Amino acid sequence: VSAFLLLRRGGATWAVAQPEVRGLARRDGAFEVTVAAGALTADEVLGVATGLRLLPAGAVLRRFWPEAAHGLGVHGVLPLVLIDPLSPPRSLLAGAPDRPRGGGAARKEEGEE
Amino acid sequence: MAATPEASGASGRAAATHLLVRAGEFVCALPLGAVRRVLRALPLYPLPGSAPELKGLAEFAGDPLPVLDLARLARAPQGANPAYPVTVVAWAGPPEARELVGLAADAALEVAHLPAAAVVGGDGALVAGETVVGGQVVRVIDLQALGKAS
Repeated sequence: VSAFLLLRRGGATWAVAQPEVRGLARRDGAFEVTVAAGALTADEVLGVATGLRLLPAGAVLRRFWPEAAHGLGVHGVLPLVLIDPLSPPRSLLAGAPDRPRGGGAARKEEGEE
Repeated sequence: MAATPEASGASGRAAATHLLVRAGEFVCALPLGAVRRVLRALPLYPLPGSAPELKGLAEFAGDPLPVLDLARLARAPQGANPAYPVTVVAWAGPPEARELVGLAADAALEVAHLPAAAVVGGDGALVAGETVVGGQVVRVIDLQALGKAS
């Protein structure tokens, strides 16, 4: 994977591997990003980043943050978490509207790095 | 080959050398050999759902860095103005799996020699024990224990 969709939510920056993005739509002033686990809510879509250098989440982070992550990286000066599309952080799922999959006008967009 | 008394004494002294850091109402001691850098507070990006000890992620030398609240780790009462103007970047975890972490603190104070025999108590977790420096109680932090499950 060489491209990642970058999102902002809850003051943090999140990355989703581009092949894992099934849909992207604006909804009620926020963004809804669909991955395998369902719809994620983002406050902002920063764009698409390439060439991220990803590191595994270390034991210290895992001890104090009980979410799955596929890795950590930095985009510019922003630290980010590469989410597991099968088990994204609950804070990303929490605000997602509860509606049947496939509803709405989901589409895929690419921003600029 | 057995270590000479001089060599073992030197390594023991190095192991006993600590950076004293104010964290809340406590002074904590960090093994100096584990300290990589002392910086003005790094910009932090909180991770929703994290434990209170984890203040967030920061960027350090181009890499992501988890930053922890040293006062909470030491179970110190928060100071009157917990602004955490200092981030101590240090190695944590066992030597075979060490990783860099940031420790948000109030001030870096001084370097002190704390002989192991003078350190007593400890909670079996992150606080290796306590000692007294200049009439003040100092909590010695075991950074190697930081990467272990609580």
